[in-house]
Amino acid sequence: MPSRRFSRPRAVVVVTAAVALLLAACSPGGGTSAEPSGEPVAGGTLTYASGDAEPSCLDPHVGGNYPQALIATQYLESLVSLDEDGEVVPWLATEWDESDDGLEWEFTLRDDVTFTDGTPFDAEAVAANIAHVQDPATASSTGYLALAKIKDVVPVEDHLVRLEMSAPDSALLESLSQVWVAMESPAALERSQEENCAAPVGTGPFVVDQWERQESVTLVRNDDYTSPPADVDTEAVAEDTGLPYLDTIVWRFIPDSASRYAALQSGEVQVIDNAQPDTIRSAESDEAIEELDAPRPGAANRIELNSGKAPFDDERVREAFIRSVNVDDGVQSLFFGTAERSYSPLSSVEPLGLSLPGLFTVDPDAAADLLDDAGWAERDADGYRVKDGERLTLDFPVSTNQSIPAEQSLFEQIQADAKTAGFEIRLQPLDLSSWYGVLAENDYDLVSAPYTKVGPDVLRILYHSDSIEPAPSGYFANLAQVDDAELDELLTRASATSDAGERADLYAQAQQVVLEGYYILPLYDQQNHFLYSSTVRGLRAMPTVSTPTFAEAWLAS
Amino acid sequence: MTLPVPTTGARRRPAPGNRRWLLLRAGGVVFVLWAAATITFFTLRLIPGDPAEAILGGPGSQAGPEALEQVRREYGLDQPLVAQYLTYLRRLLTGDLGQSYSLHKPVATAIGEQFGATLTLALVSLALAWALACALAAWSVRGGRVAWAIGSGLELVAAAVPHFWLATVLILFFSSTLGILPPVSVPGPLGIVLPALTLAVPLAGFLGQVMRESLLTAMESPFVTTARARGESEVRIFWRHTLRHAAIPAVGLSGWAFGSLISGAVVVESVFARQGLGRSLLSAVQLRDVTLVTGIVLVVALAYTVMTLVTDLADRLIDPRTRAATA
Repeated sequence: MPSRRFSRPRAVVVVTAAVALLLAACSPGGGTSAEPSGEPVAGGTLTYASGDAEPSCLDPHVGGNYPQALIATQYLESLVSLDEDGEVVPWLATEWDESDDGLEWEFTLRDDVTFTDGTPFDAEAVAANIAHVQDPATASSTGYLALAKIKDVVPVEDHLVRLEMSAPDSALLESLSQVWVAMESPAALERSQEENCAAPVGTGPFVVDQWERQESVTLVRNDDYTSPPADVDTEAVAEDTGLPYLDTIVWRFIPDSASRYAALQSGEVQVIDNAQPDTIRSAESDEAIEELDAPRPGAANRIELNSGKAPFDDERVREAFIRSVNVDDGVQSLFFGTAERSYSPLSSVEPLGLSLPGLFTVDPDAAADLLDDAGWAERDADGYRVKDGERLTLDFPVSTNQSIPAEQSLFEQIQADAKTAGFEIRLQPLDLSSWYGVLAENDYDLVSAPYTKVGPDVLRILYHSDSIEPAPSGYFANLAQVDDAELDELLTRASATSDAGERADLYAQAQQVVLEGYYILPLYDQQNHFLYSSTVRGLRAMPTVSTPTFAEAWLAS
Repeated sequence: MTLPVPTTGARRRPAPGNRRWLLLRAGGVVFVLWAAATITFFTLRLIPGDPAEAILGGPGSQAGPEALEQVRREYGLDQPLVAQYLTYLRRLLTGDLGQSYSLHKPVATAIGEQFGATLTLALVSLALAWALACALAAWSVRGGRVAWAIGSGLELVAAAVPHFWLATVLILFFSSTLGILPPVSVPGPLGIVLPALTLAVPLAGFLGQVMRESLLTAMESPFVTTARARGESEVRIFWRHTLRHAAIPAVGLSGWAFGSLISGAVVVESVFARQGLGRSLLSAVQLRDVTLVTGIVLVVALAYTVMTLVTDLADRLIDPRTRAATA
């Protein structure tokens, strides 16, 4: 089974290699005749099976989670996109210009695009969409944060719009590329939220046709589709049909991992997401099944050490913990080689990620010395370290909705390693709402929380001291509770600068502070594996939030 | 959600007149519904967790403080718990099940969309369970000691098998190995076979065990001897006399069986990706969607009490002993 891993800088090479592998794999015995390169075939119905919970709203402005992004990628489009190298490319906006002070952005829009309800796409539409995301009644979370610095939207001409900012935002283009702030028909947005959630209207290759709750969402071809992002090679598109090739996508929700894989094997569905390590491994021997590995952007999966309270308010204890646990072996044995160890706060698809493997070598002796130094020199009858009669105990609430079984097992191995060093880890498996509750109460020492966002600005959200408990809501993203004035300064400057070189340098320094302070233990990229039938061709992951797009996909007979 | 097996003790008490009996039972139904709504409401609100976070998207989404406050205001989550409860109860009394915040639609509509699928699954499973239980009984009762022991053993195993395990085994065998049935629900009659079988097998084991006792008594009863003396065949005796007699206590448990099928649907609907109330309930609990959970619990409790009421009523009409004072 050829495996495709999308890491932007290397992607071209990797894809070429993967295609070569694919051709090799598909050729019969002798390997003399290659698979006919294949003209795209128009028509057909593809069934996609998602392991995520069914979204409660198909409009990703509302709330804003990954399952919504997965499906909305098929019918909504954004102002800009990214290419495989992580460069911003035109989409619904053809060009843009930032003022010298960074407080004004002008976007020139395509003038030949229409929403699927017939409403024209123009400057007013952009204004209506940004207003919709920023309206508290929409209850947007991800999109709301992404657009937080936009103060005002001024339609200058029919197809020219100006965004006025409250502060310079070097992440604006990356933020706008995300499907959580994609463009929807302003006429459709005026309907009730219930109606808009059931069938949002965009400009994308497919149209939401019908949503049978708990069963499937049916997406049908947008016959008037004209607006693929600039990185799509339109020369290669079959002229007589145009994009998209598929007539229909049936989007199903199959929460059970074994049933999902069985459905793929039996041909009931052609694409599945949330493929688990053991499944990916067993699919390797099946030539009819291929894999798409598309790590999510933003933060890498990592364990955050709560530096806001004892015992992790002492850097020596944090370092001791990190030096005592062997993550590599666990990742190897539990993920069957499907996940690569990370040493960075950022995902490997982020071009500005900084990796410092040297900080994470396992060294039990050094850990023991550090703990002795920090006053945790005694051990109790169970072998745990104690200080002033108090045991070295760490609470680790685990979200069973977000941590896959392999990850939960990894945490158990970490628990065993830490025990040898004298840490008592109390693993606490919780459902999502309870897990949020424990975090809001600050009842944790270790925690692992995913965070998907395009670009390194995710560092500001996760590690700026502003993100520690913005009361009264109790919500905060800085779960490591890093409170470092130098780091705040670096992140604020990085967010404001419009100089690419300076930005890269500032983010590198910021990551160094986070890593060298032993605030986090990076594990691996946010896993995002898809398995699909080899009859599906032309499937790729968006270089923005790594959601697969079916705009160029077709079914070989 | 597992339901206790009801005892039949209540039925043996001296019975008042039919009208009063009905009135009392109807009052009982209302009490059960109120209790179910109340317990569900408080259980869900007292376990830790912030519904506002869940409303704002769940896994992987990030809610800002303004959005959270807006949501709390909109759904009345900023009110004291008791005030929320009273508001909720007042709405219920007017027949309004409220608005589901995880589905962005009225709870009644959401349940209406899903109820049919679960009802179909429950009824098909019930029929299948009866067919399996009778077939096994018919075979084992006439096959001598060994067949009896095998039948009894099979029932015991079947009754003890967990749904999720059975579902996986059935998928492996019928879909992955034989390739004759779809592993997930598909439109048409084929799609319901595996889910219904998963629910039916444990229930059949249970029904079979209940029947077996009375089957023994019935076989030694004078009417069977009489039938034999008339020269009726053993097959005919079994289907016409013994089985009918033995089935009565099991029929009385159909109300309970229905309730247990709906609780089993939570697992089965998820594994086979079927539409239905069970799946709605699971996601509603995870999202702390109190109104939706309470709505579903109420509908299930109503279905359960109505089924029990109907079986009891039928019992009273058929069997005069339950009406007369027997104490």
